[in-house]
Amino acid sequence: MPQALAQKVLLIGWDAADWKIATPLMDQGLMPTLDDFVDHGVMGNLATLRPVLSPMLWNSIATGMRADKHGIHGFTEPDTQTGGIRPVSSTSRKVKAIWNILTQRGYKTHVLGWFAGHPAEPVNGISVSDLYPYATQPLDKPWPLPPGAVHPEKMRDTFADLRMHPAELTEAAILPWIPRAAEIDQEKDKGLASFAKILAENLCIHNAATWILQNQPWDFVAVYYNGIDHFCHGFMHFHPPRMEGVPEDKFEIYKDVVNNAYRFHDMMLHTLLDLAGPETTVILCSDHGFHSDHLRPRGIPREPAGPAVQHRQFGIIAMRGEHLKQDERIYGATLLDITPTILTLFGLPVGEDMDGRVLVQAFEEPPSIERIPSWEQVPGECGMHPADLRMDPAAAQAVLQQFVALGYIQKPNENQEKAVATAVREANYNLARVYLDSRRPKEALPLLEDLAKNSDEARFRQHLAQCYYMLGERAEAKRVLEDLIANPPKPPEPEKPQTDGAALTPEDQNVEEQSQPAGPPAQVAEAPAGESIEQEPPGAAASPRPWADWLMGVIHFEEGDTEEALACLLRAEQADPRLPNLHLRIGETYLRRRQLDDAERAFRRALDIDGDSPEAHLGLAQVNLRKRHNEDAAEEALLAVGLQHFLPLGHYALGVALARLGHPHRATLAFETSVSMLPGLVNAHRWLAALESRPGGDLEKAASHRKLAADLLKRRREQLAGIAAN
Amino acid sequence: MIYIVSGLPRSGTSLAMQMLGAGGLPVLTDELRASDTNNPRGYYEWEKIKQLPQDPACIAEAEGKAVKVISTLLMSLPGGHEYRVLFMIRPLEEVVASQAAMISNLGTRGAALPAATMMAALKAHRNQVIAWLRSRPEIPVLQLDYHSLLADPDARAAEIATFFGPALDTNAMARQVDPALHRQRVQQSL
Repeated sequence: MPQALAQKVLLIGWDAADWKIATPLMDQGLMPTLDDFVDHGVMGNLATLRPVLSPMLWNSIATGMRADKHGIHGFTEPDTQTGGIRPVSSTSRKVKAIWNILTQRGYKTHVLGWFAGHPAEPVNGISVSDLYPYATQPLDKPWPLPPGAVHPEKMRDTFADLRMHPAELTEAAILPWIPRAAEIDQEKDKGLASFAKILAENLCIHNAATWILQNQPWDFVAVYYNGIDHFCHGFMHFHPPRMEGVPEDKFEIYKDVVNNAYRFHDMMLHTLLDLAGPETTVILCSDHGFHSDHLRPRGIPREPAGPAVQHRQFGIIAMRGEHLKQDERIYGATLLDITPTILTLFGLPVGEDMDGRVLVQAFEEPPSIERIPSWEQVPGECGMHPADLRMDPAAAQAVLQQFVALGYIQKPNENQEKAVATAVREANYNLARVYLDSRRPKEALPLLEDLAKNSDEARFRQHLAQCYYMLGERAEAKRVLEDLIANPPKPPEPEKPQTDGAALTPEDQNVEEQSQPAGPPAQVAEAPAGESIEQEPPGAAASPRPWADWLMGVIHFEEGDTEEALACLLRAEQADPRLPNLHLRIGETYLRRRQLDDAERAFRRALDIDGDSPEAHLGLAQVNLRKRHNEDAAEEALLAVGLQHFLPLGHYALGVALARLGHPHRATLAFETSVSMLPGLVNAHRWLAALESRPGGDLEKAASHRKLAADLLKRRREQLAGIAAN
Repeated sequence: MIYIVSGLPRSGTSLAMQMLGAGGLPVLTDELRASDTNNPRGYYEWEKIKQLPQDPACIAEAEGKAVKVISTLLMSLPGGHEYRVLFMIRPLEEVVASQAAMISNLGTRGAALPAATMMAALKAHRNQVIAWLRSRPEIPVLQLDYHSLLADPDARAAEIATFFGPALDTNAMARQVDPALHRQRVQQSL
């Protein structure tokens, strides 16, 4: 068994934390704890998964697996007890979380507030569910913990006493955040109530976490705070610079809430680190980022979980501890990597069925990594709920319907029935998107076909077209797109960001439902994410037409018809110039047509929208290579790979520029990096063959790369011949 | 103490309630649901229990009495009370057949699933409820097999009386069992 590289591990989750906001605050000395933390550890972006929905993501963090494996497919699920829906529960998770694995191995393990953590799991330690902090009654009424909120049951009263009710927050707690709180007309503006609720809930979790660190033996603690996400959903539209449409008086009142939320988390981090002690390895991460600049959406789609459009594709990771590097950046991390990394820290094997990898680059020395086929096959008590407690949502819905028909339980009201149907539908939709995100369109296809058959919602047809496109069925993709263009659904009205600071997050909607079990269930589910890494439909735009034109353009481009591609893409641009990735595709099309100035203009427009777009910098590098502006090309390529290390074409472009500039050794390194990421990159092998053939080079390596390039070309020709024959 | 009779709908819960009433245990029922061809001797139900998930405090009215709490509502039992649960177990084939017959008689619409799928769903649900009960060791549970009750009412009545504690008239309890009302039997293969 490999050596343990950590005595204790503290995993801290900050939902939606984003370096884009944290870094300026650290630079100003306003987040001193985090600043010191990263100075003594590693930091980097943490790429999220699609769909960008927190329950799915936090369970991927905790299991190292995508949602199709872990089974958490959205925010809600049918509830056979109420006939409505409930927040997705821990009994729906199909696989072991890191705390279950550690429980199984005898470690003292505590988990607090984790998404889909209710009912609390019977781990070897204390488990506090995500429903623990919610105040369901006014302060002057009894405020019992929901059954199952704390494990073990005997700790229930202790943790009930640690909670804080929003109404207990005094001026002293509120004024540092909102100095002009007295000016708020609370009858009209619910911002202050919303603020107090979020703050109190996070204080509940923090109190519980600090109590455990102070009073319990522990080897592993996982604690999740939703504060940053909730404060951002509620108040990001007041964050400077003032957005169009936000009244100046409201802006002045609430403008500092988001920054103060980060500072508040920094203070909580200080306490956690202090209590955990220097011997503890600490991992701080978020599931996604949050648009905080000019990329803030102008409206929220009116569809399930529409607020998810505000999420950004990169969250944060920072790690500090013995055997980890200090003051270094790590690249290419995804949230699937957290659990394999924690297992390695404890000297435990990684499951081969885990989708993530160990963050080797964070370690001072490459750690020894053992693997087993799956932790699911390892017998023994692991602190999960019994398998029998877990139930498929569709089966739960059938049982519910049957019992209602028999008259044994109350018929759900119309809203509840609608909510159950929505929960089941959204779970299927989310699962389909997991398959698309993990490049398994075959598995997504039946789900999307069914969704598109039963609803004319644009998002289902958009993803179906994308699915056909990924399957190489371009004709079918075009058919769906043409139908979408010819028969568009009624466009949903985008919701304007609320200007009273009380905007609901998808998570809030669940909370609302939880706190009002007798009332109409919230219409909760989710939405397409608002940004695009690849061909993901970019969100529920007012009209699906621009997106349809965009994908049609991509298909024409792949078919080699750059003229038609350009026509489609420019039509999309005219309708919605902020469509994510649009300008990149336009740039690529111009590049292929050798219209270099037009390509450059398009890539620069992409950068106007998102200055941190690695693809746009890569496009500019390619334009400059074509123009033989090699220094500019090298500069742009460096920017591209700096933003996203795993960018093989970026390293390739850098290699070409450096070779032309007379830096053969650095060029060789760049080409080697590119082929390590994309072994089929023929031209990189050719360059490497050429560079190694120079005097002083490695002739054996040169021959090897030459052969690899020849083999790759041969295989490609054979594939093309096969396609032509078919 | 609250004496709970539970199980899947159509698994013998009404019979168990009837036995407890005959045995001398006060039963909580509003008799809003009148006897019919599905349950000729009555349902022994308390309409308000359907509100348990929304109003857990309502269970306080059952203090010292027997009350029918259908399987799906069990998990909404609040803390703060002492419970004993008699959980009826009947073969799922019979439960599904009986439920189908009752739905047909009522003219309502159940889950549109083949019997085998419905059976699998009910099995999963029953397992889920039993697992939940196991996770609550403070709630004693007696699982009672419906067929065993029909086969030996005296012995089962004594077992129930022992489990529930109060001195119940087990003879009167046993006399409530009428095998003639056992209509959806599992077909025995020859």
